[in-house]
Amino acid sequence: MNKYLQIFKISFAQEFAYKANFIMWRVRNVFQIFLIFFLWDAVFSDQGRVVFGYDRTKILTYVFGVMLVRALVLSSKSVDIARDIATGELSNYLLRPISYFKYWFTRDVSSKVLNIMFAVVEFAILYLILKPPFYFQTDIFTNLSFLISVGVAILIFSTLIFIVSTVPFWAPELGWGSHFLVTVVVVESLSGSVFPIDVLPQLVQRVLMITPFPYLIYFPIQVYLGKIGGFQYLQGTLISLLWIVVLWLVLRRVWSKGLKVYQAFGR
Amino acid sequence: MDKAIIVDRLVKNFEVTEKEPGLTGAVKSLFSPKKKTIRALRGISFTITPGELVGFIGPNGAGKTTTLKTLSGLLFPTSGFVSVLEYDPWDRRPEFLKQIALVMGQKNQLWWDLPAIETFELNRAIYEIPKRDYEENLKELVDLLEIGKLINTPVRKLSLGQRMRMELTAALIHKPKVLFLDEPTIGLDLVAQAKTRDFIYEYNKKYGATILLTSHNMDDLVNLARRVVVIDEGRIIFDGVLEELTERFAKEKIISVTLSNENDIKRIETIGKVKRMAFPQVVLSVPRAATAVAAAELLQNFPVSDLTIEEIPIEDIIRRVFKGGLKRK
Repeated sequence: MNKYLQIFKISFAQEFAYKANFIMWRVRNVFQIFLIFFLWDAVFSDQGRVVFGYDRTKILTYVFGVMLVRALVLSSKSVDIARDIATGELSNYLLRPISYFKYWFTRDVSSKVLNIMFAVVEFAILYLILKPPFYFQTDIFTNLSFLISVGVAILIFSTLIFIVSTVPFWAPELGWGSHFLVTVVVVESLSGSVFPIDVLPQLVQRVLMITPFPYLIYFPIQVYLGKIGGFQYLQGTLISLLWIVVLWLVLRRVWSKGLKVYQAFGR
Repeated sequence: MDKAIIVDRLVKNFEVTEKEPGLTGAVKSLFSPKKKTIRALRGISFTITPGELVGFIGPNGAGKTTTLKTLSGLLFPTSGFVSVLEYDPWDRRPEFLKQIALVMGQKNQLWWDLPAIETFELNRAIYEIPKRDYEENLKELVDLLEIGKLINTPVRKLSLGQRMRMELTAALIHKPKVLFLDEPTIGLDLVAQAKTRDFIYEYNKKYGATILLTSHNMDDLVNLARRVVVIDEGRIIFDGVLEELTERFAKEKIISVTLSNENDIKRIETIGKVKRMAFPQVVLSVPRAATAVAAAELLQNFPVSDLTIEEIPIEDIIRRVFKGGLKRK
């Protein structure tokens, strides 16, 4: 356990190595929030407008929720895995008594913790400036359910990224492309981070809810908003957990096959 | 354990996709990739006893690095048997990994933006080295490699030579019993080369570590390795004491003569290949078997005041090894 704590620490230190860069990154985040806020604020400028069952308060909460959950779930250092494999950097890890996945998972967690620390501060400041009509969940049990669903989402996303990242074992030049396809096209559009899933037709919704994607963003937010609870919550969590098991088994298999064709490039 | 490393009929093939240059080539290979099998190792066998320091030499692409990578568990053998410290490297068991290190001259594990000491600390945790041992090892390595002042400087600000020594420290902090060194002195200046060499020698002597080293640096081999394994096109073509390389591969001997006058000096070309002619000194290379005849002829027909017969210098042989094309006798 100590080794992963050490990785956590060094990962943290690494983030601060370029201070100017770090500040720019945070500034960018704040601007992004401004942009999204004003966009949706303009769309719902008419106070009474309701679109797909979302009024101004709910959509703004959803939008802010997306930003928060995204920061928790989709922020990931492990995009570098594909590069590690393509460049042979992976060798450095294989040579040491350490689990490569746990290594990256630790680095992800460390990056997430850092992200949250700053996000909370920024969010508080922005909240005071913009005074958005944000819906605060007060029920402890719902908040707890929300945190669990976020944890589950993180696990799904990590295994998904790990699997996608193994492509360069077979096609070293495809690392970035496959990543883009999965994270940007598939995850962004199907996870509910662009629009809430429940604006889609019933049938599409039902199909989507069997895939792992909505459980990354949409599901946790709906749990937070109190729209999903009880039986639906249990059902969703069960599906997510099943997906984690399936994805994990796939990952193990793909990974051990990949290592056999690994050429440890670089020289 | 009487053998630290056993390699038996090891074969490693790589599948590679061939690409023609340019955009059309890239598009073509997208639709009909041309696969080619590269036979990197074609059944090599050797063993190394604990504490031995062996030089592994051959031209580029001969299979040296592939062998080292297979021995350290990075590559999956196509066929054949490999055992290091009685482990199968491919399993990459923690107990095995804690006893080996692979140092590649152009690969680095140091965290680029942070001082090297951070990487050392990380490795301490990863290898689960007890605090006391860690401090002892670190002090020893720092003294041996003379890097005390630099361990708190961000790695990106170090020179190549300094960084290489940091890499060595990071790779050896867990005191591996088996060490695979791939071009440890590549890109270093002469002083740094010598330092690294001294260090490898010391490390081998002090801890009785088994070391397998590849190098294109003549001095590395001449100064460090008593035994060398020569590999070419995936096959071992020589395995033995360094000095025997000459007997095995030198087809010629060198005769140097000192002449007392310049008469007939041109005619000397009929006796052997003139390597250097600077009156009064002439250096000839003659076929091994004809050495005695050539010497007799020289003494009889030329105004020779001095004559010596020598072997081709080991450096020349190694140079030829690097160029490739040495044939098994």
